[in-house]
Amino acid sequence: MSEKKIKNIFVDGPIAPAFIADSIAKHKSKTAIGGHSIFMGQVRKDEIDSKFVAAIDYTAYEDLALEKMHQIREDIFEKYPLNCMHIYHSLGRVKAGEICLFVFTSSAHRKPAIAACSEVVDRLKAELPIWGKEIFEDETHQWKENI
Amino acid sequence: MEIEIISFGQITEFINNQKIEVDGIADTDAFKQYLEDRFPALKGIKYKLALNKNIVQQNTEILNQATIAIMPPFSGG
Repeated sequence: MSEKKIKNIFVDGPIAPAFIADSIAKHKSKTAIGGHSIFMGQVRKDEIDSKFVAAIDYTAYEDLALEKMHQIREDIFEKYPLNCMHIYHSLGRVKAGEICLFVFTSSAHRKPAIAACSEVVDRLKAELPIWGKEIFEDETHQWKENI
Repeated sequence: MEIEIISFGQITEFINNQKIEVDGIADTDAFKQYLEDRFPALKGIKYKLALNKNIVQQNTEILNQATIAIMPPFSGG
């Protein structure tokens, strides 16, 4: 059995572009890497019944989400030859136009990084107990559903 | 026996986190029946349970002092 080191993925509020830039910069010393793949989720200003989404308020069953993320991480590292993988998801309120999800995978050549990044995003949307409440400009809300 | 209920997402709007003292709920199927009787709004929603932080895939025995999470469909990302 692998040693269980549960990493936190949750960030309070939006993920700052400067944090993403820093995260990229930190890989300068990891010279075995030849390709990075990055996915960023941004809160979309959807129009629903002539009202616009102003923000999404995220909540999670954090313990369960982190355990599930740990399993996904192990599966992905087993499946693809990755050098590293970083995942961050917002909790709390993220305004339209701000970043709520950041997935960053790196490998020696591009293809595993791209495939792993895409698979992590798909799996975390389907499997992590996280909920988004879409807040409209008039402060009414509806619960987001992943398609 | 005592069961701690925690709810998430839209379910928080009609089920508060609470501890209940009940008898005769032996497993998760019986617990679902109890929930849907007590909170009829739940019948119209797809939801999953997590018993002591394990997502319930099939009917599972509930022991005293269990924590059960009631979770609507996930919408992260």
